[in-house]
Amino acid sequence: MLLEVANLMVWYDRALLINDLSMGVDTGELVSLVGPNGAGKSTLLRAITGLVAWEREITRRSAGEDITLKGTVTFNGERIHQIPAHEIVKRGLIHCPERRRPFREMTVLENLHAGAYLIKDKNEILENLKQVYELFPILKSRSRQISGTLSGGEQQMLAIGRALMSEPKLLCIDEPSTGLAPIPRAEVFDKIAAIRKLGITILLVEQEVSTVFKMASRNYVLSSGKIIAEGLGDQLLQDEVIRKTYLGL
Amino acid sequence: MIQNIIINGLINGSIYALLAIGFSLIFGVARIVNIAHTAFYMLAAYFIYVGFHYLGMSPYISMPLSVLAVGLLSIICYKIFIQPIREHEAAVLIATIALAMVIQEALLIAFGGHYLGVPPLVSGYATIAGVKVTYQHFLALSVAVLALFGVWILLMKTKLGLALRSTAQDREVANLMGMNEARVAMVTMGISVMMAGIAGAVVVPLYVLDPHMWMHPLIMMLAIVVLGGLGSIKGSFVGAYIMAFAEVLVVFLIPMGAFLKGSVALSIMILVLLIRPEGLFGVAFEEER
Repeated sequence: MLLEVANLMVWYDRALLINDLSMGVDTGELVSLVGPNGAGKSTLLRAITGLVAWEREITRRSAGEDITLKGTVTFNGERIHQIPAHEIVKRGLIHCPERRRPFREMTVLENLHAGAYLIKDKNEILENLKQVYELFPILKSRSRQISGTLSGGEQQMLAIGRALMSEPKLLCIDEPSTGLAPIPRAEVFDKIAAIRKLGITILLVEQEVSTVFKMASRNYVLSSGKIIAEGLGDQLLQDEVIRKTYLGL
Repeated sequence: MIQNIIINGLINGSIYALLAIGFSLIFGVARIVNIAHTAFYMLAAYFIYVGFHYLGMSPYISMPLSVLAVGLLSIICYKIFIQPIREHEAAVLIATIALAMVIQEALLIAFGGHYLGVPPLVSGYATIAGVKVTYQHFLALSVAVLALFGVWILLMKTKLGLALRSTAQDREVANLMGMNEARVAMVTMGISVMMAGIAGAVVVPLYVLDPHMWMHPLIMMLAIVVLGGLGSIKGSFVGAYIMAFAEVLVVFLIPMGAFLKGSVALSIMILVLLIRPEGLFGVAFEEER
């Protein structure tokens, strides 16, 4: 397994957001993580990529809510749940955050360079930039534009492109289609399929179940911080309870 | 008269810009309101004084040395006093006020409240359109402008600058790009205080030193930052020159008006807060989750 989460538990104060969760992603897979709002999908991603631990550090110092984290996260055979978020990136586990969050006041090109922050070799950065431009031609034509002025779909492309700049082994994308119109939404899913063809493993959090189930090699259904079902899209859709209760189809 | 206003406005504006941009920088990157910012500016000036009068150092050596020294000192202070409480914004504010008071009192004990001075590095003057402008003023202006240009290069053209700007905009996402947000904050502290140090070095030969000299620039700097928009580098730059020219205009155009100097800044600050609280180039801060 490329990524393995074992018995993960996350509390924010006394609220248990992730409840004894175990899951994994194999090299080459596109694994989807679906479930209703508040199921803990984003929290799971944030726990995997070290953001929950980072948040725990800063809230501990500001006497904010108490965050507790238990269990293990293993990436590429290495336990990473003790490693700070900014160091996890070096290992090729990249998180493309919810709500896109480009650096709004910087240009598209600067955003992409920020994504390649850890890469020292200039030629390598140019190489990656070329690849990202090939995948997202729109970013090339807008490279000098301030990213806050891009449309929602373009911002999503930028967020994914920025994540690709750091040469991910596993790319975690959090709700890329949220808030997009149907056409850019379909385009984003096309791009994700294209990224998978490049040989990058993907963990995709999504609400748009019908599309995702067709793309993914495996799916996890999450509810109240627990994985309640796992399998191929067709199998999951056949189960009446899962369909009605958790997927709202 | 007009030449005087322009020359003084430009020099003061550049000094204020150095101060205000540094102050904006550390606020933008780490949300630290560093009241001790101008105390470090004063400290740099005193270091140069000590270097000149006690150690016999040439100002050309003591100036860069003291800029480095205050930068280093600020990082030490940051590590000891600020970093442990960094997430408590109010506590940080109080800590930096305390730090400024400590610096002021230490200088009072060491040097007393006397007015001290350092002779100009270059003597002589040029006459421009009938007004005498000393070479020292030109030197001050060019050093300040050069420093501002250097900061612009640092911010816009280097990898460190990219990390600084990314962290200022969204420190959580900066983390996800592999930027060590805590270290960026520390480095920013050093850079911003070194800018204040350069401002201090520039004014040393022009003004007199006393342990309260940090107060006036502090007020000006706060007013500039309110005018330009808190956290906006561009706003600080533009605001600094507006404020400097407003100040110089009052001093030169109102007979016996020099005592009104301080109130100009405060009046502009109050006006801005009433009419446009986000300032000229205000950044609407998005709530971080």
